[in-house]
Amino acid sequence: MNAPTPAAVETHGLTKRYGDVVAVDALDLRVEPQTVVALLGPNGAGKTTTVRMIATLIAPTAGTARVGGHDVVKNGDAVRRQIALTGQFAALDKHLTGRENLVLIAQLRGHDRRVARAIADELLERFDAGEFAGRVVGTLSGGQRRRVDLAASLVHQPSLLVLDEPTTGLDPRSRQAVWSTVRGLVAEGVTLLLTTQYLEEADALADRIVLIDHGRKVAEGTAADLKARVGAQRVDVVAVDAAGFVRLHDALEPGFDVSAAPESRTISIPAPAAATDLGAVAAAVHATGVPVDEIALRRPSLDDAFLALTGNAPDADDAPAPLTAA
Amino acid sequence: MSTTTVHPAPPQRRPFLREVRETLLLAGRSLRTIPRVPERLIDVTFQPVIFMVLFLYVFGSAIDVPGMSYIDFLLPGLIAQQIAFSVIGAGTATASDMAEGVVDRFRSLPIARLSVVTGQVLGQYAEALLGVAVVATLGLILGWTPDMSLGDVVVLLAVVLYALFAFMWAGVLLGMAFKSPDAVQGTGFAVMLPLSFMAGTFVPIAGMALIPRTIAEWNPISALVAAIRELTQGTHTTGSWPLEHPIAGTLIWMTLLLIACVPLAVRRFRRITAN
Repeated sequence: MNAPTPAAVETHGLTKRYGDVVAVDALDLRVEPQTVVALLGPNGAGKTTTVRMIATLIAPTAGTARVGGHDVVKNGDAVRRQIALTGQFAALDKHLTGRENLVLIAQLRGHDRRVARAIADELLERFDAGEFAGRVVGTLSGGQRRRVDLAASLVHQPSLLVLDEPTTGLDPRSRQAVWSTVRGLVAEGVTLLLTTQYLEEADALADRIVLIDHGRKVAEGTAADLKARVGAQRVDVVAVDAAGFVRLHDALEPGFDVSAAPESRTISIPAPAAATDLGAVAAAVHATGVPVDEIALRRPSLDDAFLALTGNAPDADDAPAPLTAA
Repeated sequence: MSTTTVHPAPPQRRPFLREVRETLLLAGRSLRTIPRVPERLIDVTFQPVIFMVLFLYVFGSAIDVPGMSYIDFLLPGLIAQQIAFSVIGAGTATASDMAEGVVDRFRSLPIARLSVVTGQVLGQYAEALLGVAVVATLGLILGWTPDMSLGDVVVLLAVVLYALFAFMWAGVLLGMAFKSPDAVQGTGFAVMLPLSFMAGTFVPIAGMALIPRTIAEWNPISALVAAIRELTQGTHTTGSWPLEHPIAGTLIWMTLLLIACVPLAVRRFRRITAN
């Protein structure tokens, strides 16, 4: 019986051990073609190790990974032809110019120089990098370098693009630029697997989000699913002191769906209607006459997501990860 | 939105030709960056000049070599030293490449894994050859008078090219082993400087005290110096077997170096890339 179109990425029990440390622990992942999946997790969760295994840069200790049906260990070349990995640190020769980097990569891909130049120029234009393409990469800003790096990844028109923390370390404007470029790529039909620490990024770009911590899958779902579980926006009211906290809590509880965090003197109230809810809460607080440090509208953070889905803060679990059977 | 032109697929090439092409492309990339990295440019231009001036004009007047002018004695030593020092340059360039992400980029391309290493070696080779050419040319300008037949020239080129080839692989291995360019430079200099001095480079070996003389007699660099000296001046050095048969000695040493370094370098690269 023939299998349907192979998944763009499929892993079973993918594991990577470094001595006693289990970086990736029996991970099962599936990315359908022409969708975007985000691996969301804190630093050290194993996201980078996972995608490097998928991109054939690291050999798995156990388990399998397939890209477009090709096994990453057995058919590395076929995988490399379909995939492009863009890492957190631009993988470019920093002594060459952006254009020289792209031409070299196109030539290494097998194109002759004339075609290589055409490909380079076209990509540079597409990523709006033409104006600094003639400058040595080492002199570019982080955002510019990231753009050239992204262009370099696309030289061989991969069907699967893997972005490892694409906007970490970038200023907000550069981040928006990267997001809009990525969206453009997705619109053209590229399958995308990205890793990130930022829930907003996963939310903005991904169809499905996989939450990872300590190398293990913690939760999975669409952005909407996760948000429903985590709770969307909320209003945080921070009392000035413990006594004020108690008074506020007693005053607000009857009328609102409050959650309390005594250690930070914070009362949280869901705010699906954003500004309107903010106004209602502020009015209620004002009516109590209790002085407050802060009333603010907040979005759920990665910490919130973890808390809600695992019951722990992301790094609270310090017990050593169990070794899976060899 | 701009549309993507679909470019023709790259032409199929036979595997060996493909690897040669890849090696040449990567070597070219290495060479193109020399003028842009001041330290590397200095290595091939400034440093040999400094050494030459130092020994010719500062120390040279105090060193007496029976039977020949000091410059004729010195140049073979300087050439050999340039060759030996190129290990450090190759190691540093390799280490800094490995430290950056750019090697990852090459590894993620469907090119032969070996091409990354051979490209490095070839690029460094060309760069080191440039350094040797600078030394030789400068020597000629300053009064070096080699006395060689055409046969001697051919053999000299062969010896120099072979020795350089072996040292390049040693340098690339060093770079992969140490991973940090600073570590390579530090260790490299700490080892190469005394080793290249205790090789009959600047002063005749015969005049050294027992311990340095023994080291010098069996030092592979000494054989190289003696070989170049014999070919350019017809000088015969006395001492250990490699010194008295320097060309054969050099060839043996360099071959041993290659046998030791090449498999290790390839294996190390595989290990680095598998991880």
